[in-house]
Amino acid sequence: MRPGIVARLARKEIVSTLRDTRAIISNLLIPLLLVPVMMLGLPLLLGGLLEREQVTTTAVGAVGLTNMPADLQAAFTAANLDLRSVTDATKAVQDGTVEVAIVVPDGFGSAIAAGGNAAIELVTKVGNMKSELSASKVQQAVSSYQRGVVGQRLEAAGLNAAVLTPVTITTVDASSQAERTSGQLSWLIPFFIAIWTLTGGQMTAVDATAGEKERGTLEVLLVAPVRRAEVVAGKFIATMLFGLSAASMAIIGFLVGSLVMQNVFVPRLGEQAEAIVGVMGGGLSVSFVAILLLLVSALLLAGFVSALLLGVGMFARSFKEAQSYIAPLSFVFVLPAVALQFKDLIGLSDAVYYVPVFNVLVLMDNVVRGTFTGDEVLITWAVMAVACLLLLRFALANFKRESVIFRN
Amino acid sequence: MKAVVDLSFSVGSGEVYGLLGPNGAGKTTTLRVLATLLAPDSGAATVAGHDLVKDSEGLRAAIGVVNGGMGLYDRLTGREILHYFGGLYGMRPAAVEKRIEALDDLLQLGDTLSRRAGGFSTGMKQKIVIARAVLHDPPVIYFDEATSGLDVVARRAVIDFVKAYPSAGRAVIYSTHVMSEVEELCGRACIIYRGRKIADGTIAELSAQGEGKGLEEAFFRLVSRYDLANGAAA
Repeated sequence: MRPGIVARLARKEIVSTLRDTRAIISNLLIPLLLVPVMMLGLPLLLGGLLEREQVTTTAVGAVGLTNMPADLQAAFTAANLDLRSVTDATKAVQDGTVEVAIVVPDGFGSAIAAGGNAAIELVTKVGNMKSELSASKVQQAVSSYQRGVVGQRLEAAGLNAAVLTPVTITTVDASSQAERTSGQLSWLIPFFIAIWTLTGGQMTAVDATAGEKERGTLEVLLVAPVRRAEVVAGKFIATMLFGLSAASMAIIGFLVGSLVMQNVFVPRLGEQAEAIVGVMGGGLSVSFVAILLLLVSALLLAGFVSALLLGVGMFARSFKEAQSYIAPLSFVFVLPAVALQFKDLIGLSDAVYYVPVFNVLVLMDNVVRGTFTGDEVLITWAVMAVACLLLLRFALANFKRESVIFRN
Repeated sequence: MKAVVDLSFSVGSGEVYGLLGPNGAGKTTTLRVLATLLAPDSGAATVAGHDLVKDSEGLRAAIGVVNGGMGLYDRLTGREILHYFGGLYGMRPAAVEKRIEALDDLLQLGDTLSRRAGGFSTGMKQKIVIARAVLHDPPVIYFDEATSGLDVVARRAVIDFVKAYPSAGRAVIYSTHVMSEVEELCGRACIIYRGRKIADGTIAELSAQGEGKGLEEAFFRLVSRYDLANGAAA
């Protein structure tokens, strides 16, 4: 293998991809912009909607409005609920006159005043988000009224409200600093690395294999005095580079999104935004060692993906055929990456570190959370390195097979 | 099924040798074997002193290949494509640049050097394909249906180039199904049919079998004779 020839082959693929506007947009710009938009846009949109729903006065239909005690009506007013008398609660909700309605039976006030029990019927549309949010506000208002009634009854009986809570539970967070700051969505880092490594390397790999066949440039390349192993190595380096670039862009987007959230939205929106930042891993602080481990792991994953893409791309007759083979492959990466969020629930055994791809995703998640062990790192890296070499052999075999080279 | 069987021929220095046959006869397979892209089941060949099996890399360095279906890298300029291949042939950038100057004079490369290949006309493409094939000044060059799909001007440019290329120490193997091109370019040729050589010799010798009606008539007579002898429909 001659490094100069490999570098020349790789450089040509890199230049060719860099001059492809579609590749630049999908490999570099989309991950850089899409990730922060997803991170900031969705939670803030949902947060904003929830906040607005709490502040906005909501109309509540009421059958038997006159049966409601003044205290209960006051609790509704305090919860920004505007009671409107209706004759048929179900019809009022169904035709959209109100999002939610209540039915207060006759004798409700006297039953409560006499120390008895009474029921309120809540009419809502289950599955309708707006209706359920309004129902939640109604339940909060009724709970507030109920606490007042219970307090009064306990006081009348000479009892303290604490009698209702003889046992209290205090939660102590035993997670490490890294686990706390990584947030519930720490799995997004390995997820982004996996997805964008595949997406980023795809165009270069397909262009360098099936694309070469389709254009009729493969034959002339193989007629030059280069070795097939050098051709595979050059294309492999270029593919891996673009896969890693796309993954890096996604991670940069993730970090930028976290910083913007922490420094712009938290001061403006206060506690609510801070909670969202926590969930999104916005307080993430990864150590230097962890970054190194992530880099090597990402490199191995990119190597695996690139070798696979080259092998499959070379087998295809055309650009289109290669893309149709590669599209289902994304599930191989998406599904394990998504499953990472349920890792604790599933209870993975140590055998998982012998399963290529999934092992490196689990390892990266552990590294982000700061819960990795040396054995996990060594087994995962060794398995991935072997898998990568086997896939490179597969790609090389395809570059040597006459039936594959001239399969067009 | 074998694509090419018992085929042997030799091409001398300064000669343009024709491989003549219909589509599917085995001409491209023969050239792919001689370019080391396909491995022969048996037999031997030496090209410019390089053994086909024992020194495939040396053989590839000694040949240039032009065919009708060869493409270019759309996002590279003509000059970048030539530098890329020059590097693969072990040429230094200064040597490539010097050779580009010479080829520019010979092939009138003009603005194909500075434009990206994606915007080339067929004729422009063919010029860079030829320049790429002879960039390293190979002693042997293969032309495989090199004029297929070209307009009359581009076709003439290829034919003129083939005429001018052979000299002492250089040889051309010209594969085509177009009789007139063989008559115009080649000193000797072999007719390949159903993977076998059915005749060879000088163009005059081959044409003589057409009883004064030219190479095309000779070709059809030879093919019919072969089919009759082998019990196959023509």
